Amino acid sequence: MRKYLYFIIATLFLASAAFAAESQIWGDGRVLNIFGYGQVESLKLGPLFTMLQKEYFEVIFFGILVGVPSAFFLHYLIIGPKVFPHGGKKIYVFNLFHRFIHQIAALSFIVIVPTGFIIIFGAQLGGGSLVRLAKDMHGLATIPFAIVVIPMFLMWLKDAFFNFDDVKWIMIVGGYLSKEKKPIPAGKFNAGQKMWYWIATLGGMIMIITGATMYFMDFDIELLRQISGLTQIDLLRFAAIVHNVMGFGVVVFFIVHLYMAMFAIKGAVHAIIDGHMEDEEVKILHGSYYKKLKEEGKI
Amino acid sequence: MSEMSRMKFYCDDHRCIECDGCSVACAEAHELPTGINRRKVVTLNEGIEGKEFSTSIACMHCTDAPCEQVCPVDCFYIREDGIVLHDKEVCIGCGYCLYACPFGAPQFPRDGAFGTKGAMDKCTMCAGGPLETNSAHERELYGQNLIAEGKVPVCAAMCSTKALIVGEASEVAKIYRQRISSKGKGVQSAPYGWSKAYGN
Repeated sequence: MRKYLYFIIATLFLASAAFAAESQIWGDGRVLNIFGYGQVESLKLGPLFTMLQKEYFEVIFFGILVGVPSAFFLHYLIIGPKVFPHGGKKIYVFNLFHRFIHQIAALSFIVIVPTGFIIIFGAQLGGGSLVRLAKDMHGLATIPFAIVVIPMFLMWLKDAFFNFDDVKWIMIVGGYLSKEKKPIPAGKFNAGQKMWYWIATLGGMIMIITGATMYFMDFDIELLRQISGLTQIDLLRFAAIVHNVMGFGVVVFFIVHLYMAMFAIKGAVHAIIDGHMEDEEVKILHGSYYKKLKEEGKI
Repeated sequence: MSEMSRMKFYCDDHRCIECDGCSVACAEAHELPTGINRRKVVTLNEGIEGKEFSTSIACMHCTDAPCEQVCPVDCFYIREDGIVLHDKEVCIGCGYCLYACPFGAPQFPRDGAFGTKGAMDKCTMCAGGPLETNSAHERELYGQNLIAEGKVPVCAAMCSTKALIVGEASEVAKIYRQRISSKGKGVQSAPYGWSKAYGN
């Protein structure tokens, strides 16, 4: 853990030191920019990024921001939330460490996601100091997430591998399209939670790396350039494209995650606050996990 | 917008002697901080016989400028004479314009504790910015506004071999044609960067 902290501090330190060094993008590096833009032998990432950013990114993010909550609003009206009796027997599912790591990540996301949207819709907000502040917060709030993402990845890894339950879960869309209360095939995490896990951890790491590449801009990652064979400017273009596309997935699942925890299953959020889940909630929503706990004599 | 009134840069790579005078003049005239190169002389195809040439590169003030298309805060505006300018008080320093630019023109002052990028800086064709013309504030943020005074941008004004030319498209084209016809041999392609910057 301490080693990890040192690594982050060293990265930040090196990043600011890199600014004094020879530039990879400007000065003589400008030649690489010109060659890398749209010449026959290049990947044409410059024109590709320009086209995507001009035509698609903003529209898609707007679609997600409006479409996903609207769909859930309809779901809430038509099918309604799942309600389980509270006050009965409870099952301890998340220990203090799990909850602590999750809460740090949650706090970061509460800042990162809205500030990201402020940057995307910066033109509508008039740019200037508000959007500049959002951009800086977007970067700053990444630091706590970067610290917890690896522990989070490791602590839930063994519960996040897909199995046959998940196929069945997907076939019935997790039972969220019916009001019936019958046990749903799912382990400690259901297929939806597993998808979110992979997008939040591996996807999150991709977001951190691509975001940092853009934030530090001229930070010389010699190794990365050698492996990828890309020039610094093409790395930046690639990072911008990946950061936006991965962003679609992260934002969609973040909204899904919020809806499920806050609205779709009444009181579900308490599982990550005090670590306990209602007995019946586990029995219905995590059928296989409940069976396993029973066999092990834990309940 | 008529082609007559459009401003263009043209660098004659047969004449450019890589003296760097244009970039020094630019940096001096606009009091640019170290590390900010609005204009830079670069050598392309270095070491490849017959193909190597030097040229002076800055913002080309492109038609349908890509930077203007990708800016998330829409801080760019294109003047009637084609000069591409931006509002530094709206710019958030995200760097998208640099990714979109074919010429590496956008520059970012690198300061701040964790390398926070400041507002973008680039060649204004010596035409200042959106603030009051020739005000102290405009000069501080964007440098001199020579166009407003009817003067030639400093880079082209001082070019000793007259390789770098700036002016109305028709005038630039006239000089270009004159130079080619006086040479009287060989096949001349369009000036470097023109197809990307101004279309065909």
